Amino acid sequence: MKQITIIWGLLMVLTFSTAFVSESDVNYAAILILGIAVLKFALVSFEFMELKKAHLLWKYLVLGFLALFSALVLFIL
Amino acid sequence: METVPVDSKNVFYPPGGILMWIIIFLELFTFGMALVAMVYYGSLERELFHESRLLLNASFGAVNTVFLLTSGFFMARSVMELKQDHVDKSIRYLWITMFLGLCFLILKGIEYNSKIDAGLDMNYNLFFTFYWALTFFHVVHVLVGIIILAITTYNLKKNAAKVELIDVEAGAAFWHMCDLIWLLLFPIIYLIF
Repeated sequence: MKQITIIWGLLMVLTFSTAFVSESDVNYAAILILGIAVLKFALVSFEFMELKKAHLLWKYLVLGFLALFSALVLFIL
Repeated sequence: METVPVDSKNVFYPPGGILMWIIIFLELFTFGMALVAMVYYGSLERELFHESRLLLNASFGAVNTVFLLTSGFFMARSVMELKQDHVDKSIRYLWITMFLGLCFLILKGIEYNSKIDAGLDMNYNLFFTFYWALTFFHVVHVLVGIIILAITTYNLKKNAAKVELIDVEAGAAFWHMCDLIWLLLFPIIYLIF
């Protein structure tokens, strides 16, 4: 119970970081924003959805989807 | 509550069930491909997409992210409590999850209303075609998610002994999927261009 509360806190920090990055003139803001989104996606799937307890195949499929999606977006951007 | 022992490490039994995970991947690929298409067309018309993106209220999107992530947190807690046979607590967390889902829909409704008032409908330009199609499709999923959670809550209240944990986990997985889709939609639609 304590662990997912910490994860929720981390997700909130990451959400506010996204808002900060998008409002600032940071170089490579798009890459940072996408990176934070990928991290949040991984935290929700592995912790909230308990993917960490699942078979390796499901973990690789989720991570593979994330890698493919981010690579395509970054390549096109 | 019926808790059939399930080995999550077995490839055929991911948390929430294999059928739900097949649905989750189909949904993720559908939204993912549409978002990649949006980024592609955005790269062809950078100025149009940038100016259109500035017409959106990113604060609405950020608050909605907080609503969905927090609802996901309470959903996860609800499942955890149910596994320990704390049915009342599990139901309480389910109510909070649904309430936050409703908050998401209300804020989305306010956002949609302001866009319609400003004449920024689906035919305004290509950016808004993507905006309406993707966000509305996601809203439909959130609505379906709330209905699934409402049915789960009703069943738990009526006779918790007859409810199977795998069914509650499947509903929870669907709800988290709405969260995952939003985590991809929000940065691409509201921030990146």
